[in-house]
Amino acid sequence: MISKMLSTINFSIKSGFICKLMIPAALLLLNACEEKEYAIPEAKTELQNDVLKRTTGPHVAGLDIEFAYAMALGVDKGRLVSATVEASVAGEEGTYMDPKSYYTDGSGEDIGVTVGEPSVTQGTRTSVRFVGDTSAATLRYYYKIPESAKGQNVSFNFSAEASTGEKVTYAMGPYKISRMDMKLDLAVKDSTACYISIADMAVYSPEEAAANPGKVDLVYLYRNIPNITFNHSLVAPSAPAEYLRGVQLPSGVNNSAKIRKVWGLRDQHLARMQFGVFVDDLDFEKLNLAAEPDYAINLRAESGTWVETADGKYRAYIFVNSVNNNGKSAVISIKRFAL
Amino acid sequence: MKKFTKYSTLILFLLALVSACKNDFPIDEDGLLITDRAECYVSNFELLGADFQTVRTKNPVIDTVAQTIEVEVFFGTDLKNLFPQFSLVTDAKLDPKIVGKVDFSDLSNPKVYTVVSGNRKVRKPYTVKVTVQQP
Repeated sequence: MISKMLSTINFSIKSGFICKLMIPAALLLLNACEEKEYAIPEAKTELQNDVLKRTTGPHVAGLDIEFAYAMALGVDKGRLVSATVEASVAGEEGTYMDPKSYYTDGSGEDIGVTVGEPSVTQGTRTSVRFVGDTSAATLRYYYKIPESAKGQNVSFNFSAEASTGEKVTYAMGPYKISRMDMKLDLAVKDSTACYISIADMAVYSPEEAAANPGKVDLVYLYRNIPNITFNHSLVAPSAPAEYLRGVQLPSGVNNSAKIRKVWGLRDQHLARMQFGVFVDDLDFEKLNLAAEPDYAINLRAESGTWVETADGKYRAYIFVNSVNNNGKSAVISIKRFAL
Repeated sequence: MKKFTKYSTLILFLLALVSACKNDFPIDEDGLLITDRAECYVSNFELLGADFQTVRTKNPVIDTVAQTIEVEVFFGTDLKNLFPQFSLVTDAKLDPKIVGKVDFSDLSNPKVYTVVSGNRKVRKPYTVKVTVQQP
């Protein structure tokens, strides 16, 4: 009887594909219903560390790369002795580790509590010695990007030591350092400070422009002309006279340039606004301004222009921070890339 | 029984395939639906500069009888690097297609774009006449 039943079951399993699926599915269901008792996980008490990179966007020489270095060990085990960061390329003067451990208060402010002596930087190493009985801290490390690191990769090795003799390390990077240069808040004014040199990243007066005519790439001018919208403009000296109305170019100032107007590209480095937008090396490398004109008129605050110099040596992004119609002036910031 | 199941499944599958390939809706060479609509006109026109901002000083004048679009642009507009945008009647399409920047600098030879109706039987060429604002 039993053998007959088994043979019947066997037959039905063989003949039905669905049955084959049903058995594992049923097993899975049973398994899923199994109850597991929850246990609060045990906190690790040995020395441990972690690093967070707080800086976003391209790494431009002169700016900081900021890290938050956290380290801790069990309260009853011991205390922190030191924290050290070793960079693969020595940072510029101003590289330091903040000996304060920060927490955020109810209103979102970072409040620092001093936990160590001021940091000491020797060559590529920056270190802080802890004071008092500190078993957990998050220190901020600011690496001032040196000019010498342009185009290179920089890596960081974070390490912490505890009174127990334990030592932990954490490697970060490598991070590519941008080849761009940056100049912020250059004041330009119609007729007086109106000659812009991309090569020098500077603004010249007519007298200075006459002394360095080959370096002038753009002329800033403001015109309020009836029936048309001219306003604040960046024009290459080579542009047609209708775009350089009333401008007496100093002798020898005749460079050309390719200019493309841009709207809404508020680079965070240049604009210092909340938008997480950055002009990067790659943007300059891929930029093609071959078909662009040599003038850009009617520029407004928060607009910008891509520029390529006539000699093909530089590409730049000029951001207009602010304009003043009455003063016939503007404030501009430049990111430049040498080709 | 097993054979029957096999064959019936195969037949059903083939039927489904045949049904899926049936061409109910005619499409043109661009893969766009050909419909019954014979209307053929431009309803709006926009011209953007290299910064993707409008370069028009005022609304364009679209004459659907003369088949012309007259648009005035700001003084200093770089006519070599403009992005035209046509709004067309439902199901219509434009020939030639706009795939990037267009050079409008030859003002004596205005650009001509042809609107093709939804049924692809009516073609109307529109001439885009650009003038530059002067002081």
